[in-house]
Amino acid sequence: MRSLAIVLVPLALAAALGACDPVHSDSVDALGGEAPGVRKGPLHRPGQPCLRCHDGDFGDPPEFSVAGTIFESQTELRPAVGATVHLTMHDGRTFDATTNEAGNFYLTPSELTPTYPMKVEVQARGARTSVKMSTTVGRYGACAECHSDPAGPTSAGHVFIPADGRTP
Amino acid sequence: MSAVPLVYCSVLALTVVACVTASSDSRVVETVPDRASFEPVSDLLDHRCGTLDCHGVSYRNLRIYGREGLRFAPDARPSSRTEAPFGTTVAEYDATYQSLVSLEPEAMSAVVSEGGASPERLTFVRKARGVEEHKGLGIWKEGDPEDICVTSWLRGRTDVALCKQALER
Repeated sequence: MRSLAIVLVPLALAAALGACDPVHSDSVDALGGEAPGVRKGPLHRPGQPCLRCHDGDFGDPPEFSVAGTIFESQTELRPAVGATVHLTMHDGRTFDATTNEAGNFYLTPSELTPTYPMKVEVQARGARTSVKMSTTVGRYGACAECHSDPAGPTSAGHVFIPADGRTP
Repeated sequence: MSAVPLVYCSVLALTVVACVTASSDSRVVETVPDRASFEPVSDLLDHRCGTLDCHGVSYRNLRIYGREGLRFAPDARPSSRTEAPFGTTVAEYDATYQSLVSLEPEAMSAVVSEGGASPERLTFVRKARGVEEHKGLGIWKEGDPEDICVTSWLRGRTDVALCKQALER
C-alpha cells in the first residue's frame, strides 16, 4: 500500500501540475469543442493546430511530431483526400505522409522526429507534380499554427492544393 | 547616533543626488549600420529566420517582417510573390531594421563604429551561427554566404550579390 502511494502521489502531482498551465489551457479552449457527429480520432478537427493538444504532455492525447490538414481550395474547406505531404529534413531525410478522408495527416515521434528547418511539398492525389512550400518550417510541426484561418498579417491561411495539382 | 537614522539619511541623500544629476535630456546615441543597404539582408532574414513559427511573430525581441512571414499592414498576407503589392514593403523593411538595431544598442554601436569587427559580440550573430543557445539551432556557420551577407552589412559594405546567392541556398 505504501509503495503504491509512493508511485501514485507523484503521478497525481505531475498530472495536476501539467494541467495548471493557464496559457496552454486557454489556447486549447480557444479551439472550441468537437464538431457534432465527429468523434475524437483521425478525422476530427481538420484545420486546427494538431500539436496544440498532441504535444506529449502528461494526460494529453498521443504526441505528434508533424501534423496538419490539406484542403482543395483557398475559399472552401473541402479536404484534399489522399494527398501526399513530402517532408525533407535539414539532415536530408525524407518522409511521405498521406492525408485521410478529412484531409488530415499526422506523424508520431516514433515515425518521424524532424530536424529543422524542414521543407514541405504537397502533391494532390493522382497529380504528376507537387507544389513546394516557398518557405521552410522553422521549428514547429503543426501546419495550422502558421496556416490558420482567416488569412492575415500573421497567417498564411489554411493549406490547400487544387485537385489538379497546379500551383495555387 | 543610532544606525537606523544614519541609513535613512544616507539613502535620502543618495536619492537626492541621483535625481539632481540625472538629466531629462539624456540620450544614448547609437551608431547603427546603414539602413539604405539593409534590404538584401532583410530579405535573407525574412526567408531564413522570419517564418511565422520563428521570428515572424510580434512578441519576440527580434521581430522580422516581410512577405514570407509576418506582415505589417492589416490587409497584407504572407506571399510567395515578390512584386508589389505582395512583396516586402518599405514599412516592413523599416520595422525589421528597427527591431534588429534596437536589440543590443551598445554592442551594435561598438561593432559598427569599429568597422564591423568582432560581430560575434552581437547575440543575433552568435545565435545564427549556432554558438549560442538558440531554439532555432544554428542557421548558418561563420563564413557561409548568409553569415557574410550579414557581417558585410555590419561593416558598411553589404555584399548584395552574396545576399541574393544566400537566398537561393
